[in-house]
Amino acid sequence: MGSVIINNMTKKFGEFTALHDINLEIEEGEFFALLGPSGCGKTTTMRCIAGFENPTSGKIYIGNNEVENIPANKRNCGMVFQSYALFPHMNVFDNVAYSLNIKELNSSNPVKQLAIYARLLNNRLGKHPKAIQEKVMEILKYVELDKHADRLTSELSGGQQQRVALARALVMEPAVLLMDEPLSNLDQKLRHSMRNTIRTIQQDLGITTIFVTHDQEEAMSMADRIAVMDKGHIVQIGTPTDLYSNPSTPFIADFVGTSNILSGTVAGEENGLVIVKGDGFVLRSANKALKDELNVIIRPEHVKVEAVDSIIDDKKTNVIEGTVIMSTYLGSIVRYDVQVGSYQLIVDTTYSSGSNIFEEGRKVKLTVEHERVLLI
Amino acid sequence: MKKLKNSFNGLSVVKILIYAFFGLFMLLPLFSVFLVSFTGQPINILGSLTDPAILSSTIEKFKGASLENYKQVFSNAGYLDGLKNSLLLGFLVTLIVIVICVPMAYGIARTKMPFKKTISALCMVPLIVPTFISAYAFIIMFGRSGWVTEIYNVLGGEGMLLNPYSMAGVVTVQVFFFFPYALWTLVAAFKISDVSLEEASQNLGAKNWFTFIFVTFPLALPGIISSALLIFTVSFSDFGTPIVLAPKELNLLVVEAYREIAGFFNWGGAAILTVVMVIVAAFFFWLQHLFTKGKNYGSVSGKPKQQKLIENKTLTRILSGYSFLVVLVPLFAMLSVALQSVATTWGKDLLPNGYTLDHYKTIFTTSMGNIQNSIMLATGALVLSVIIATFVSYFVVRQNSSKLDFMASIPLVVPGIAFGIALIQTFNTAPLHLTGTAVLLIIAYTIRRLPYMVRSTMGAMRAIKQDIEEAAINLGATPLTAAITIIGPLMLPGIAAGSILVFITVIKEASVSILLAPPEWAPMSLAIFHNILRAEYYSAAAMSIVLIVLVLLLQGAANLLSRKQKL
Ligand SMILES: Nc1ncnc2c1ncn2[C@@H]1O[C@H](COP(=O)(O)OP(=O)(O)O)[C@@H](O)[C@H]1O
Ligand SMILES: [Mg+2]
Repeated sequence: MGSVIINNMTKKFGEFTALHDINLEIEEGEFFALLGPSGCGKTTTMRCIAGFENPTSGKIYIGNNEVENIPANKRNCGMVFQSYALFPHMNVFDNVAYSLNIKELNSSNPVKQLAIYARLLNNRLGKHPKAIQEKVMEILKYVELDKHADRLTSELSGGQQQRVALARALVMEPAVLLMDEPLSNLDQKLRHSMRNTIRTIQQDLGITTIFVTHDQEEAMSMADRIAVMDKGHIVQIGTPTDLYSNPSTPFIADFVGTSNILSGTVAGEENGLVIVKGDGFVLRSANKALKDELNVIIRPEHVKVEAVDSIIDDKKTNVIEGTVIMSTYLGSIVRYDVQVGSYQLIVDTTYSSGSNIFEEGRKVKLTVEHERVLLI
Repeated sequence: MKKLKNSFNGLSVVKILIYAFFGLFMLLPLFSVFLVSFTGQPINILGSLTDPAILSSTIEKFKGASLENYKQVFSNAGYLDGLKNSLLLGFLVTLIVIVICVPMAYGIARTKMPFKKTISALCMVPLIVPTFISAYAFIIMFGRSGWVTEIYNVLGGEGMLLNPYSMAGVVTVQVFFFFPYALWTLVAAFKISDVSLEEASQNLGAKNWFTFIFVTFPLALPGIISSALLIFTVSFSDFGTPIVLAPKELNLLVVEAYREIAGFFNWGGAAILTVVMVIVAAFFFWLQHLFTKGKNYGSVSGKPKQQKLIENKTLTRILSGYSFLVVLVPLFAMLSVALQSVATTWGKDLLPNGYTLDHYKTIFTTSMGNIQNSIMLATGALVLSVIIATFVSYFVVRQNSSKLDFMASIPLVVPGIAFGIALIQTFNTAPLHLTGTAVLLIIAYTIRRLPYMVRSTMGAMRAIKQDIEEAAINLGATPLTAAITIIGPLMLPGIAAGSILVFITVIKEASVSILLAPPEWAPMSLAIFHNILRAEYYSAAAMSIVLIVLVLLLQGAANLLSRKQKL
């Protein structure tokens, strides 16, 4: 097991810079997610750690060892590929046993090596030693695949293949577990249950894990910490709640959860509250303004919708008037699109039977608490 | 290339070995033949590197180097005629093949002609038969006592309808046994040429034949030119037909070169002819490459447009009847060989006088050795080319090694007889005395057939995703171990199909066998060749049939394999 540290890593493909000065410190046993839109450099970062790409500059440390001169096959990073990359000509058992066989191969004399090559080429040409058998069966049992040990991987479902890939990476007891969008090939339902499976296994084994995804919900629900990437840069690193409540840029606010982003200008201060004016709104925020022209971020669930004739104390909370242009039921919540000035704000309200639904075209009052108005 | 530095490992050693193999057994022989074409005397490059005495004599030889041999090409009547005749042969065969194939290809591609499947299947016959056997079959048919000659005489003709021992004979055999090489390219060309233009022409009131000549044909022209160039190269490089049929007074480069080396040990003459052959073949190959670049007639992306097939009864019947005439010639040729192999005697009659299996008995008692030799040599070449082709395609596909790709396609442009001469010349003395050994023979076969093998292993390699290999490395395997345990087994079907092809072509190979095989390693092709030379036609026929059956069986196995792969 070990920590992973990346210092000032840059990666260029010819003229194109895929990674700009990446710095990361991932602690031992941490579940760390790399989150960002497709093409932002997540896979490249992971491939540099695994040794499939060499950084153009910068250093990578795994378990405190600088790894520049360690080839990919000696880095002891277990990798779960996006496509799983299972060996199609081997059954489940042989897939999982592969790394153990290789380990034995590297520490054997030439005669024994031949025997190992033979059983790698065809499992009828030789038996695995007891230690390997037990270890493989143990991990297969752990991922609930012990009954399928003799199956060809092509005969398994997507979720099962995923677990074979995981078992194959885990059996070598890697210093770090690298997973590149491991759930993207699964259907919605399976994806949710695999999230739990992976998280549980990771917690169980306490293995340092780097998890690549473009799905913010996935990252938010699984990771201890998240690095959000954009165009080869790391934009922000933090815990899921950090990122959600204190996004450092509109990009993150938008990427991590749904946000209403309004541009405004600071118009003064009053009772310790910043007054921000924009097209069709005036808002007071309890947060600090670092500049005069800024973005106002409001999460949909932090807005309440009231009838236009209700009486609200606008000293205690922000009140904006708007017009409902659409209302949508999303299970237990109702989502409104409300026109305010030139903006369409998204508002989520919990729906309980008997509560009031505002139809389209109705004028409404929106309220937002001062603390919920983020300024960045 | 930091990566290379990091991965100096077993694989890079393999890469060096493969370069060394190509360098030693392909580039060095070709280069030294090139030198000999100036010095007129054998040059021992390897020896010069290891032995100072040889080096000084080599230097002496270079002092005597001159363009004398090159002048000879244009002054020596034999050489000049050889070049002219070879070019003429290629030209005639190409022209006739195209003329013959255009209607057939049109029929297959664009009409609902009856018996299309049968005709297509019969087009395989010429591809299975080695040319020296086809040439010999023509002797059985058109020779002085051939059955075609007999029919011709009965019908009132004088002498022979066609003297097989003549330019006309060589041309005819090559035409009927090489036409399938052009046919399928032409079919593809007719299939993809833009039908909407033709329809436009017809809408304007043009007649069918007018549309064909002024619209369809020009559209298919690039395909036609490309296949013409291919046929030219094949005909120009063919050794089997001329060696059996060309009479003494008909000089052809391939035969002339063979005689210079096998008859007179005239190194300078053989070398200059070899150089000329390689240059001509390479030039036409390059032309063809130029023509097909960017245009892929065989496999267009996407589905070809739906075309309306012509149903006109008269036209399709004429096309079908005509196509049958063409494909029946090679078929009858093979039936003649089959008939001769079971004949007691077969004189100037339509059919043999009696039937016997004695010739086969003789073959399986006295000539079993040749069959074994063929199988062993072919197996040797197969193993060697599998190993080399697998690694070559690995380096080409995974490491973008275009140099190796180029290297592995050089054998395509070197006629067999030219390559054989280059090898003999280079390895006939110490330090690496290999001429007359099975090793050199196997190496020669391997290099000659490597392009085909590489093509099929490369296809298999491309089908394996890169991340499967990376997964193996990630799990601790070195690149070499990953290649052996993961890539190799996954490529197996592709390798198997390719290696059967290698096996077949090696068994069919004439030029290299005739030139390089020592008596104790004589393969079937050489035995048949000797039998034909000694006019032992019955055993030649029986042996030919054995060879063809062997090829057919293997071809069937290959088809089965590739069908399985597709499923
Ligand atoms: N081998 C390569 N050669 C050139 N460009 C590459 C290569 N690998 C990745 N890239 C480029 O680097 C950028 C980041 O790619 P990647 O790390 O795969 O993104 P992600 O995994 O976040 O979707 C992309 O623009 C991609 O086109
Ligand atoms: Mg990616």
